[in-house]
Amino acid sequence: MDEPTDERAADDLESRFERDALVFLDSLYGAALRMTRNPADAEDLVQETYLKAFAAFHQFQEGTNLKAWLFRILTNSYINTYRRKQREPHFTGTDDLDDWQMVQTQAYATGQLRSAEAEALDRLPDSEVKRALQELPPEFRMAVYYADVEGFPYKDIAEMMETPVGTVMSRLHRGRKMLRALLEDYAVEHGIIAVGVSGGESQ
Amino acid sequence: MSEVNSFDPCLAVLDQVYEFLHGEMDEVRVVVIRQHLDLCPPCLRQYALEQAVKALLSRSCCQEQAPETLRISIVAQIREIRVTYRTEDLA
Repeated sequence: MDEPTDERAADDLESRFERDALVFLDSLYGAALRMTRNPADAEDLVQETYLKAFAAFHQFQEGTNLKAWLFRILTNSYINTYRRKQREPHFTGTDDLDDWQMVQTQAYATGQLRSAEAEALDRLPDSEVKRALQELPPEFRMAVYYADVEGFPYKDIAEMMETPVGTVMSRLHRGRKMLRALLEDYAVEHGIIAVGVSGGESQ
Repeated sequence: MSEVNSFDPCLAVLDQVYEFLHGEMDEVRVVVIRQHLDLCPPCLRQYALEQAVKALLSRSCCQEQAPETLRISIVAQIREIRVTYRTEDLA
């Protein structure tokens, strides 16, 4: 007589999954779009994430952070499946970059920027911000996206990316610096920021 | 990270600016950073910029909507898995 009970439990699990997990669909899709950089792959990635999550949902402990758990599966699937397919710049190794962006952004670390520039940045088109984000190496991009857009604590991001918190922080630092350099370049190019204001002493 | 020979409070603050921005600091360190920002206009400008970038990212990336077909397909597949389980149970 325990068959109907099992059945019932499975039904409960399914409706609980649909109710609790699907509310994060847009968030997951947004992150997947930034990672895969195209809608078709983003859809596949999100679908894969949900199917894996559903298969493992009976192990998920109610009361723990479901969103973080889903993002962890998403990140994992991305690293294991899509990164291979997509031939993005290598996933590991970028942490050690001795990079152009460090040189480029030094000027901005000297505090010469005017407060008007914060307002100017605000005038950048969304499309340009997304494009700048896509130009970051994937692990920098993820760290920035998870911290700044999704607002995940560093500890959660570290778990998602399976790295120590220190690595998350360094990815964030470098990712943010690159991003700012890209955004400011664009803003200067399009006359949103006057060249004399930010670029004047940057050589 | 810390190849600082002579201690520069501004560099130290800028080095921690993201932790501050993301609420990853304990109360004591928050107070130290706040005090510095209050007294140091260049650092405050930097902070304002970092804040602006965060706001910009949220604004630009937050409105992605998954296609309705994706939702439908996910739900359908989940239910299909359930149906498969059921038929397997019966077999």
